[in-house]
Amino acid sequence: METRPFEPKHLDKWKSNLDSCIRCGYCYEHCPVFKHTRWESDSPRAKLIILYGLLAGKLEPSTYIADKIFSCFHCGRCVAACSSGVPLIEVFTDAKRDFKGTAFEVSGTTSITNSDCAACLTCVRACPHEARDFINGKIVTDTVKCQSCGICIDICPNNAASSCLSYGTNSSALKNEIGNFLEKDTSKAIVFGCNWSYYPDFQSSKMDRAPSEYKILINMCGGRLEKTLILEPLLQNGWGVLVACCPDGDCEHDGNVKAKLHVKALRDLLGQMDINPERLQLVQIKHGDKAGFQKAIDTFMETINKLGPLKQ
Amino acid sequence: MKNIDTSRLKSIVGEENIKTDPADLFIYGSDSSVHSASPWVVARPANTEQVQKIMAYANQDKIPVVTRGSGSGMCGQTVPVKGGITLDMKKMNKILEINPSDVFCRVEPGVVDDDLNQALKPFGVFYPPTPASSRIATIGGEIGNNASGVRSVKYGATRDSVLGLKVVLADGSLVNLGARTRVEATGYQLHKLIVGSEGTLGVVVEATLGFVPIPKFRCLGIANFDQLEDAGKTVADIMGSGIVPSMLELVDNVAIKAVNKTMNLGLPDVQAALLYEADGMVKEAVDYEIEAMQEVCRKNNGFGLVSSYDAEERAKIFLGRKKLFPALSKFSDLLSSTSLADDMAVPYSKMAETARKIHEIAKRNNIIMTAYGHCGSGCMHTKILMEPNRQDQWESAKKAVSEIYEYVRSVNGTTSAEHGIGISKASAFKLEKSDSLNLMSNIKRAFDPNNILNPGKLMDAHDDWVTATDLRYMVA
Ligand SMILES: Cc1cc2nc3c(=O)[nH]c(=O)nc-3n(C[C@H](O)[C@H](O)[C@H](O)COP(=O)(O)OP(=O)(O)OC[C@H]3O[C@@H](n4cnc5c(N)ncnc54)[C@H](O)[C@@H]3O)c2cc1C
Repeated sequence: METRPFEPKHLDKWKSNLDSCIRCGYCYEHCPVFKHTRWESDSPRAKLIILYGLLAGKLEPSTYIADKIFSCFHCGRCVAACSSGVPLIEVFTDAKRDFKGTAFEVSGTTSITNSDCAACLTCVRACPHEARDFINGKIVTDTVKCQSCGICIDICPNNAASSCLSYGTNSSALKNEIGNFLEKDTSKAIVFGCNWSYYPDFQSSKMDRAPSEYKILINMCGGRLEKTLILEPLLQNGWGVLVACCPDGDCEHDGNVKAKLHVKALRDLLGQMDINPERLQLVQIKHGDKAGFQKAIDTFMETINKLGPLKQ
Repeated sequence: MKNIDTSRLKSIVGEENIKTDPADLFIYGSDSSVHSASPWVVARPANTEQVQKIMAYANQDKIPVVTRGSGSGMCGQTVPVKGGITLDMKKMNKILEINPSDVFCRVEPGVVDDDLNQALKPFGVFYPPTPASSRIATIGGEIGNNASGVRSVKYGATRDSVLGLKVVLADGSLVNLGARTRVEATGYQLHKLIVGSEGTLGVVVEATLGFVPIPKFRCLGIANFDQLEDAGKTVADIMGSGIVPSMLELVDNVAIKAVNKTMNLGLPDVQAALLYEADGMVKEAVDYEIEAMQEVCRKNNGFGLVSSYDAEERAKIFLGRKKLFPALSKFSDLLSSTSLADDMAVPYSKMAETARKIHEIAKRNNIIMTAYGHCGSGCMHTKILMEPNRQDQWESAKKAVSEIYEYVRSVNGTTSAEHGIGISKASAFKLEKSDSLNLMSNIKRAFDPNNILNPGKLMDAHDDWVTATDLRYMVA
């Protein structure tokens, strides 16, 4: 495919915003990408610094840089946290426009489709951002429009959609984390938390002593948790699973409705298997209600501790 | 990358903890200051042993090392003017111990301040120095800068809470400084010397910190003033009256206007406002202190006095102060808010005069400056709002900054109250401390004979901060 040279045409209008970023770093702790890698270079502030570098001619465009720019879940937490009112998502989107069509374009966290695609077009219809299209017999993602929400990944009947970079939020990464955590004798439960509603409130320093009985694993939406993944902790000797999602009406794409259906079906299944369904629970937590989330976890852990281990 | 064996660093911290891409280096070349200069490599150690090995290697090959927490410093402390290795400490982020009966906690340097306070809360205690940037500032960075915050008027700065430190020295050896006791008179208090040394004396790998009980009652009040002098006199009178406020903040008219203009908060358009807080375990005692402070406000023509114990009400009262930072950044599309002459301290009696002087100097030099700050601890903050792409604005800023510091010295104030010196305040610092600079250089040499730890800062920094490094703006 022919490529064009990189020119920061769309970026140019953001020059003064790049200057007004005071580089305080208040965005770090809100960014799921930074929280996963804990490298400053993956923070929203770093993206702005890179873009400044490109505009000022201090950095050369590269796929390495493009990977950073295309790695964003569009949760908008950085925008809300920005002391200087920089519209980061708009700036990043314009940066993506400038990279699109150049030799440096990458897919980052945006979705791609592999050869298992049956061209059923379900994803094209489901994409809330009109980022997917069927062109010349192939599904094509517009990487500028794609907001890495993952609905296509979730909905594809052939599992043909995926993203190159998931920053710990895809099923295989979550499965790994479940395995690693539940290996320890002290581990009891897994809490699935949705990035959009609670994750930003959790900081990252860790207590060394008293290993936690539960681990919070961040996913992109409760509705995107496959049933097998929800059950995985119980298969790995966990005592319980808590799925946290947004209150009714708060989820942009009704992921919470789906999560509720999944959990209900699985609880029925547990009942049929003579496993106390209380080992699997769902809570709906208001956006940013960190105290509410903690209380729900504590109550759940109390129940779990009363129930004891699954295999006695 | 000059004379650096990255494979050696990779063998110490693992390949996945090394960054050498120009983009990464560019990112790690800036902080919240006006400066920019890239390191040659970024390394992320996970434990003390790795820090020791890196330092031993760097010392042997005389490679500069800049220790970095979150890089939120405002004066270029973590900008590697001489290149070298940037040590990103964020991986060493464990809270090692909370010991309520001995009233201390032990933490690794990458622990974020807010996280520590969240972990302390169930014990009914808090770690008090807490800068405004506590949601990202690391304990190592707070130690490096001797950070302080709104409540330091009552609870002190970082130095007052640090009981002991484990420090890796320039040659890679490890020393245990201080003790786990509230008081110590055992020789030189070297841990206190490390606090505020901006990463020039050693790498802190563990800190033992004291904490204090969370007060049962907190009451916050506001008072408005038509004359800046009256507000300034109120500060001096409150501090001289024997009352110990847990917060005493001043906001001037430029700041109030900025908040009103950009946030539409509708604050009264007065010349100055004072925020005052008292806290304690007994409500009557807090009442007494609040009433006493209000009495002083009234005596000095303060009006519109409101106070509240209610958390929501307090948040409302504090909103104007809280929104000040973003307000200044959004003041105008053309102007950027720069961290320059940002945190001097002056004697209480000079508070109002300092604020006036700041406005006078700004006007004369064609820039906008505001005055606000933790005046209860003597700290006056300013921000310079300017067009950073115009060379002449930098000349004006330079002149204004130097005039402000000249005035600060003339009233026996000090160059930095809490943000530190780094690069941008070095020239003023050198003038203020001219008679002890030699001593400081000797201390630096004793700790770091090869001058590898954060070189080019404090006494070693360039005298002209504008040309000391690239500026982080595109200056025409
Ligand atoms: C919006 C904003 C508000 C702020 N408000 C305040 C405030 O109210 N009060 C205040 O005091 N400051 C304030 N600051 C300045 C700054 O955030 C603090 O001083 C903070 O403590 C720095 O922490 P950091 O982790 O970002 O440190 P960094 O900037 O990464 O480092 C600061 C210094 O400490 C050294 N250092 C870091 N880690 C270590 C270590 N392990 N061993 C030895 N040296 C080390 C570094 O070399 C450097 O010299 C503010 C900054 C911003 C951007």
